[in-house]
Amino acid sequence: MSQPVLQVKDLKTQFFTDDGVVQAVDGVSFDLNPGETLGIVGESGCGKSVTALSILRLVQEPGRIVNGQILFKGDDIVTMSDEEVREIRGKDIAMIFQDPLSSLNPVLTVGFQIEEAIEAHGKVPGKTALSRTVALLKQVRIPAAESRVHDYPHQFSGGMRQRAMIAMGLANSPSILIADEPTTALDVTVQAQILELLRDLNRDLKTAIILITHNMGVVASLCTRVLVMYAGRVVEQGPVEQIFKDPQHPYTWSLLQSIPRLDSDRHDRLLSIEGFPPDLIRPPRGCRFHPRCQFKIDRCLHDDPPLLNVGPDQDAACWVTMRRALASNGERRG
Amino acid sequence: MFTRGALLYIGQRLVLIVFTAVAVSSIVFLGVHRLPGDALLNERRPDPAAEAALLHYYHLDLPLPEQYVRYVTGLLHGDLGESYVNRGVQITPLLLREARVSAEVGAAALVFTIGLGVLLGVIAAVRQNTWVDYLATTTSIIGYSMPNFVIASLLFLLFGVALYNWTGGALFYNSGWTGSYGTLDQILVPGFALGFPYASIVARLTRASMLEVIRQDYVRTARAKGLTSRVVIVRHALRNALIPVVTILGPLVIGIVTGSVVIENIFGIPGLGKEFAASILNRDYNIVIGLFTFYAIIIALANLLVDLLYTVIDPRIRY
Repeated sequence: MSQPVLQVKDLKTQFFTDDGVVQAVDGVSFDLNPGETLGIVGESGCGKSVTALSILRLVQEPGRIVNGQILFKGDDIVTMSDEEVREIRGKDIAMIFQDPLSSLNPVLTVGFQIEEAIEAHGKVPGKTALSRTVALLKQVRIPAAESRVHDYPHQFSGGMRQRAMIAMGLANSPSILIADEPTTALDVTVQAQILELLRDLNRDLKTAIILITHNMGVVASLCTRVLVMYAGRVVEQGPVEQIFKDPQHPYTWSLLQSIPRLDSDRHDRLLSIEGFPPDLIRPPRGCRFHPRCQFKIDRCLHDDPPLLNVGPDQDAACWVTMRRALASNGERRG
Repeated sequence: MFTRGALLYIGQRLVLIVFTAVAVSSIVFLGVHRLPGDALLNERRPDPAAEAALLHYYHLDLPLPEQYVRYVTGLLHGDLGESYVNRGVQITPLLLREARVSAEVGAAALVFTIGLGVLLGVIAAVRQNTWVDYLATTTSIIGYSMPNFVIASLLFLLFGVALYNWTGGALFYNSGWTGSYGTLDQILVPGFALGFPYASIVARLTRASMLEVIRQDYVRTARAKGLTSRVVIVRHALRNALIPVVTILGPLVIGIVTGSVVIENIFGIPGLGKEFAASILNRDYNIVIGLFTFYAIIIALANLLVDLLYTVIDPRIRY
């Protein structure tokens, strides 16, 4: 096993609002190996985007990283100076965002915004930066890149904007690309093209990808490993096939049940998860999922389940699963 | 730089400005002819023959419609007629000379308005809720709470009395305008008094606009690229934050033009503003009509310039 390129250890990011402290990310840990594709899934407001922003220290006031380590090749991003973080941003770790229209500056040309990403990390002659930009746009399959490079974002279509964002992310051949809901604002065919593009980039350039999404289908099509987050915590993690085949946390199970299937009976009602994600200023006692869980036992109401190994390379944080795992171990032994 | 469509647009606007000028001067022309009294009326009635000669000299003996046609024809040729009070003084060259003086002070005021306003606004936004922000915000509250003539009087006191010895008389306002161009002292102090209230408005608007823009996704993208904070603020945030500021530039120019009437009279600056007050008091109606027309043209041109400025600052706007 190679050394992880990124290690997040017990990350806690909180927002100090007038109403109280929002525990948006509450003790998240994971490793990312070189060239790996990791999916982080969960509902809106579960802390997945804040986790991603924390990695590049882009969380805005009143948000602050209050605990934990983010080790990039052994160096802790949390304690780095602003200048050191700036050098990592866009060079070693790049990030692309959900809405490509609002993420591009409307008053600057697309080409200029990509050149800027190149020039932020070392002096290059203007001509070189331009030709590199055109090459990047071609790489993300933007037609007529030579003339399109001078266009403004509003002259691009939604899919092209996201491609341009990806080109910007790839400008300095980063070792990690964080994609925060990169396909959410796009229609389905364009979604598929963007995912295919990301898959090719991962294969050809060996860029590790962290894909943040609420869409299990997107995870299935791109990722090798998946992290399921709920209310600021990781509730389950493991290889994608394993999680899809045999989810161990009731929340993961519910998420998978809520995907519409073509092969199911049309009259079956699609399962949805009852209730709302909890208030992260005053999260529920015990397991944070228990108010919405249909499998809960007494222990879930007051004891917080730890993330424990429940299968080969698969971890889950659930008392019910753990009891079952222990029981089946017992059966095997007996 | 300009496309065909843009040139067409500018052409249309210029034609409209000519119509505006004619309309404004017509209204003022008819207005002043309805007013009682005239420039030739004194305590002492002149000799009837001399009066008739004067009336004839200024074509005031013609019927009103005929006078009007003469006036508009002159206007379209750029001729605003002759002063009633100072016979032989042609108004067009007089106003053009005074406009140069006013333009100097107005330009200084505009530099203060935009320069100081944007600077204060950006600093306040970047250092939001720190003492820097409070200081900048308080300064701008003072600025737009005080009328320009109060600021002018305070500046006289400050540089003429309180700081006179300390500054060695620098910035002491010396009202002796000799030529058509003022010295730096003569321009800076009135320019500041004229521009400061508007600088405060620009500062407030820039601050609010910057605070909104700083939270935009593209600013986050810029930071995620690894740009330095200076580049993020100036290139990505400020440029977008200035779009609403450009919007109020039109009204601001109007404010500076009207404010100059007060400021030029306080500081004794021989510009359009001083002429404006003097011509009304002297009932020098030809100059009054000419000045109104002149102001209308300046304001219309300023608004056209602001509209063109939009296309420079925001590529999504095209005419």
